[in-house]
Amino acid sequence: MIWIGDVLVSRGEGGVYNERMLGGARIWEPYRSKLAALYHVGKGVELEPSLRVLYLGAANGTTVSHVADYTEVVYAVEFAPRPMQDLIEVARRRRNVIPIMADATRPETYAPLVEAVDLVYQDVAQPDQAAIAIRNSVFLKPGGYLVLMLKTRSVDVRKDPALVFDETIAALKDAGFIVQESVWLAPYHQDHAAIVCTKPPKPGE
Amino acid sequence: MQSYWFGDVGEGRCSMVTGDANAMVSHIRALSTRMDEFIPADWQQAVTCGACSDRADYLARLQAVCIAAAERSVREHYAGKDAELLQMVRTLDEIDTVINLLSERAADWYMVRHPAFSRKYRRTPAHILVRTMREKSRGALGMVAGEIGQLADTRTALAKEVSARANDVMPNTSALIGGLVAARLMAHAGGLLPLSRLPASAIQVLGARTALFAHLKTHSPSPKHGIIFQHRRVHNAPRDIRGRVARVLAGKLAIAARLDYFRGVAAPEFLLEAQERIDAAGKGGGA
Repeated sequence: MIWIGDVLVSRGEGGVYNERMLGGARIWEPYRSKLAALYHVGKGVELEPSLRVLYLGAANGTTVSHVADYTEVVYAVEFAPRPMQDLIEVARRRRNVIPIMADATRPETYAPLVEAVDLVYQDVAQPDQAAIAIRNSVFLKPGGYLVLMLKTRSVDVRKDPALVFDETIAALKDAGFIVQESVWLAPYHQDHAAIVCTKPPKPGE
Repeated sequence: MQSYWFGDVGEGRCSMVTGDANAMVSHIRALSTRMDEFIPADWQQAVTCGACSDRADYLARLQAVCIAAAERSVREHYAGKDAELLQMVRTLDEIDTVINLLSERAADWYMVRHPAFSRKYRRTPAHILVRTMREKSRGALGMVAGEIGQLADTRTALAKEVSARANDVMPNTSALIGGLVAARLMAHAGGLLPLSRLPASAIQVLGARTALFAHLKTHSPSPKHGIIFQHRRVHNAPRDIRGRVARVLAGKLAIAARLDYFRGVAAPEFLLEAQERIDAAGKGGGA
């Protein structure tokens, strides 16, 4: 990751959402982007130019644009039409963003478009976030990373966020994921946690 | 055999999808995949297939198809008759908020200029007060009052449009509860389809979120009504049977919303029966 002092940045064409620039690089705000927050509070996954990414819950393409600055290609899945209009605009200006208007809970609708990826990044406001991640792990290469931004309030507003956190981690472990890191994103985002896992390598590798 | 956006691959063979961008979009939208035996696409297969020349070309072609497909999906989503009505209702409610905020502020300002002025014990309607402020104030305050008047006119026009559009888009719901309130219910649910999928119990308390969660968290009584309170049958009903009227009305609204979504035209026999049933609930019968 590129840091200028203690500011996280990405190198690419600016002006996507009026982001501030620093030394010609785009400032990646931890208060705006949960992924940026993860790099501030934890370790995260080092983004590299060779990475292929499946991004679930792409929204307006704000974080997508930063991920695309670092990686080879981003398959950006978003369900809602309003943010999709913005995402399409981001894709027009960045040749490595592939916008897909589909429901992340139904990978069969976009499976023919997506190749095997090194990283699945998920940030969806849905109740069954662990299940969505597990269903989308077919796209993940063995040894690949899953970064799940857990919105505990979307799972169940009435449940204790810490409990939702533990249950999600348990569900991911049951599905065979190896949990590498799990941190809360406070003070940047309330009641949000990041869970970083790897898909086990194929036996014999 | 595996189907991908660029073609079908299986048993060492590959058949490429041909046709223009439009045909490609139709193709990828029609694909259905069995996830249990799914293998993700491989760009090298696409090259072998003749669909593209190299990695960069693969991504460029895929991106072009995906952008076109996403654009078509967005267009289709907005083509629904409820999409614009939704924006109209939300704008209407927003204008109401702005008018209230500005009127309060302007009145406070006006009272500073006219220390003897008070609104107590006057039955001046809001729009008359705004007119007085406009006529009696110099400079910016008069202009602000003028703007409030303009906004009020816009609001009236917009409310008429919303009502008319709702009668057209959701004839059954509108017939039961009036175009404006029907449109508000739809906007709160997020569209006609989501509204048609709501159970009656949810429709009954749509718009009473604070009260509902207060009820779930503490032991306060459950809300009897949300937006549907705005309908005269609910707010005119005596307090002790208001809950019953709201429940019966919500039950019929749930059916009406489904008729509106799936049939799209008024169902006179349903409406007749529903009106009778709701009236009966209001008269103390049919608990």
